[in-house]
Amino acid sequence: MSEETQMDTLAYSSRMLGWAPLGKFAFACALIIVNLSTSSMLVPLVTLPIGLILMAYSTNFRIPFFIGLALAEAVLIIVLFAGMMSISGTSGNVVWEADILWIHARMTDDSFNYAWLVLLRSLASIAVMISFATSTPIPHLSQAFRQVRMPVEITEIVVLIYRYGFLLLERMEVMWSAASCRMGFNGAKRSISTVASIAVGIFISSSDMADKAQTALECRNYQGYFPVYNQPPKMGVKWLAVCVFAFVAIYLFGLRTEGMVDMYAILSGVLR
Amino acid sequence: MTDNIIELRDVTYYYEGSKVPSLDNVSLGIRRGARTVILGANGAGKSTLFYHFNGVAEPAKGTVLFDGQPIKYKRRKLRELRSRIAVVLQNPDDQIFGQTVEADIAYGPSNIDLPKEEVDARVEEALFLTGLTELRDKNTLKLSYGQRKRLALAGALAMRPEVLVLDEPTAGLDPQMAQDFMELAERLHHDGTDVIISTHDVDLAYTWAEDIHVLREGTLVYSGDPDGFYGDDRCVLTSGVMQPSIFAINRGYCAMRGIDEAPRPRTEAQFVSKVSEGPRGMLTIVPVDAGAALQMPEIPDGVRVGVFGTDAKALGRSMGRTPDFMFGGFDACATDCLRGHDSVLLCDRGCLEMVSGKVALLGHFGPGIESRVLRAP
Amino acid sequence: MTDFVLEARDVSYSYSQKQPRPSLDGVSLGIRRGARTAILGANGAGKSTLFYHLNGVYRPKSGTVLYEGEPLDYGKPALRTLRSEVCVVVQNPDEQIFSSTVEEDIAFGLLNAGMERDEIERRIVESLFLVGMEGYRTRPSTQLSYGQRKRIAFAGALALRPKVLILDEPTAGLDPQMSLEVIEMVDQLVESGTSVVISTHDVDLAYTWAEDIHVIRGGRLEYSGSPDGFFSDSARAFSCGLKRPTPSVVDASLRPGSAMRPRTNAQLLASLAPEGAAFGKVTVVPVSDGFDASAASVPEGTPIGICGSRTRRAFASGGLRVDHAFNAVDGCMADAVRGRDSVLFCDEEMVGFARRAGRAVEAFGKGAVM
Repeated sequence: MSEETQMDTLAYSSRMLGWAPLGKFAFACALIIVNLSTSSMLVPLVTLPIGLILMAYSTNFRIPFFIGLALAEAVLIIVLFAGMMSISGTSGNVVWEADILWIHARMTDDSFNYAWLVLLRSLASIAVMISFATSTPIPHLSQAFRQVRMPVEITEIVVLIYRYGFLLLERMEVMWSAASCRMGFNGAKRSISTVASIAVGIFISSSDMADKAQTALECRNYQGYFPVYNQPPKMGVKWLAVCVFAFVAIYLFGLRTEGMVDMYAILSGVLR
Repeated sequence: MTDNIIELRDVTYYYEGSKVPSLDNVSLGIRRGARTVILGANGAGKSTLFYHFNGVAEPAKGTVLFDGQPIKYKRRKLRELRSRIAVVLQNPDDQIFGQTVEADIAYGPSNIDLPKEEVDARVEEALFLTGLTELRDKNTLKLSYGQRKRLALAGALAMRPEVLVLDEPTAGLDPQMAQDFMELAERLHHDGTDVIISTHDVDLAYTWAEDIHVLREGTLVYSGDPDGFYGDDRCVLTSGVMQPSIFAINRGYCAMRGIDEAPRPRTEAQFVSKVSEGPRGMLTIVPVDAGAALQMPEIPDGVRVGVFGTDAKALGRSMGRTPDFMFGGFDACATDCLRGHDSVLLCDRGCLEMVSGKVALLGHFGPGIESRVLRAP
Repeated sequence: MTDFVLEARDVSYSYSQKQPRPSLDGVSLGIRRGARTAILGANGAGKSTLFYHLNGVYRPKSGTVLYEGEPLDYGKPALRTLRSEVCVVVQNPDEQIFSSTVEEDIAFGLLNAGMERDEIERRIVESLFLVGMEGYRTRPSTQLSYGQRKRIAFAGALALRPKVLILDEPTAGLDPQMSLEVIEMVDQLVESGTSVVISTHDVDLAYTWAEDIHVIRGGRLEYSGSPDGFFSDSARAFSCGLKRPTPSVVDASLRPGSAMRPRTNAQLLASLAPEGAAFGKVTVVPVSDGFDASAASVPEGTPIGICGSRTRRAFASGGLRVDHAFNAVDGCMADAVRGRDSVLFCDEEMVGFARRAGRAVEAFGKGAVM
């Protein structure tokens, strides 16, 4: 099974599948935006747990290995990035300075705090986004877009691409192993030409598929748009209220607590 | 010591992200020189199994042996392995990588850095065996489905494999193309390649197999002689397949008449040979050489003509009188003879031995047919 | 006058101007109402092209297609009605499944036909029941196996309750048991009055199943009529890229003079039965809703066959052993010919079908089986 299929399986078995896709989307956006709108360190410390709890609830505490791997990778990159930021301070009290190779590293209390803020914000955003992604299959997303008046043509194409994406992906996997059976990946030059032939094959089969789909659509009495029988729940007033409330509450909380947490002071206190 | 070309020992395999094994503790041996069938319903694990034969899939547990040596999953070792065992997939489009017929056949051999002359020689040979010589410059997109299927086989043959795995060789083919394809497989096997077929077509499996291995939801439920499997109603039922037609007919017939089921016929002609006494006709076999003019005997009215082999087919198409049986020639002619009519079979010289073997086999079931090979005057 | 539900008159069609010969060349044939019709031909003979004419997807370059005696109207509203009455199920289910979940996909055709919501709900339940996939209603279609996708494609067509159901290679790629289940499903539809047309190159299937066959070769109609008339001549079958079905070959070799050829294994065995052999009896038990399989009593050692979707369900929940789970009608008949009694449980509407099968076997043999 490819990663795309696994993601799909995950989304369809999510406990949050029945929630309004647009509501989930708006809620995720609200959390991410509020996350960035104040400089309080406590805001990401609130949104991060919300994201983690939603993620855990959505996947029923069973996060597949590949998502875990991707997460760990992202966290590692962010930690490195935050580390870089913390040692490239320009203002505030210098707490540590050194020359590492050709880099002049200088950590100030400001840069240290800022790095922590960025780290927490990113982790919180990732958690929130993943909780959305693991609970909303693509067709639901397209449904959500339709609700905000996105043109039908676009949402239809999204669904079709999604559907045929799987078929082409399946095909590509088979061709890939067939090519390796015929020694097609023996050396870099051959690998490139093999990949090119596979791409050509996929292209031809996709146009062929489009042709056949056209006929099959007509056989099924296609009237020019994809009707939906089971509309996923629409985003109602409740969702709007939840989003607005969460946004305002956290925002106000953020404004009040700006600068209250000084990571440097805490950590240096602990270390001492 | 048994002489197994491929052997699996306690192989378990999981698809990525799946907790249910696709193969569960499978142990089996593919005998060298035996016609082997891997049988099972859709999704029983047939494809997963043969992807283990050539190292595309690596077992989570257990070992796979090729020619007595455990498979090593190192690049170089795998390359060597895959030049000895070739897989022909069900959908030919999955494994055609060249622009023209010739270029596609050359794809495999040139990937293993063979000298140009060697590649050319192998392409020639594969073209000849699959009867694609006249289409060598044709664009692969413009071939019919049956031709593409042959091309996929030619591409595999160009590697000169010791073992050839055919996945659902007759799926999607009409009876004519299916017979043609199986005739080819039979000839390859006769000429010394080990051919393994993976299928759920029980009638095909029955006529072809000496050994069958039956899979059910990833476990091996039977290994051995086909009759042993089909005789077990319960096992057949739970494996998602059915008894082959001829097996069922023979069993019913023998029960009614109170005669022994064995020897169990595998083809219609063999069954007829077993149960009917009647007068037999004479099968005249006319050897055909590629490119040589044919010494055609006088054919009386009412005697029907069949062809067997690639050259014979090419000749049949260009003949003044089109043969009656352009495919499945042997069985059709034999059936005529069993009914007391004479018939004539045009046969590639390379297939003579195979055909006389088939004639002899008919005799094993009952009063078989007589045949004579026409010698050049 | 014969009663044709669909008719093609001198239909010709080419996909492009450059084609050396047309894909359909002056084809005239009629599909009889309520009959089982098979269209036979080698790959590329034009079977699918013909199908797409019957539901108005293709418009003939010359000639006419008639539905219920009227030439097709290619206007949009008329086509919409036509396609909900004449349903084509294509060979590859992946080409035909457009929605992401099973119920959405079945609803797709119904919504296109402009049906009410309550009715759609009823039809989804009904069609999923018919194909035996009630448990899969909310499953995503990408996570189904090939056989399951094929069933969903059928369900999508069945939900429309079409007058004519056209199936392109319904058994291609399916394993033997699943093929037989599909054919049983089709039989049940025919018994409830649907006209069914299938295309296939599986000659054994066409021979046992069809009442009428039409053979196409290179875009031309080669034969129209009863299966016997075509398959009695092996050279002719060969020239169309087909072969003779097994029962026909064997019977022709063993009883050369006979006028009537058996079409199933049971019929073949009946025709080969020795003089004076006593046939066993097949007891047919009709199964209606609420039937309890565990309450039925059958003597030990008597083979049991099951047939029909309701019966299948009743037996799936446990109770009796089953000896003929697939192709049971013929299986029980074959037992009878061998002198063994058997019991056949089948859905009520299939009783007539089973009786006809019994009479067909009796016609070859020397005794009664029912």
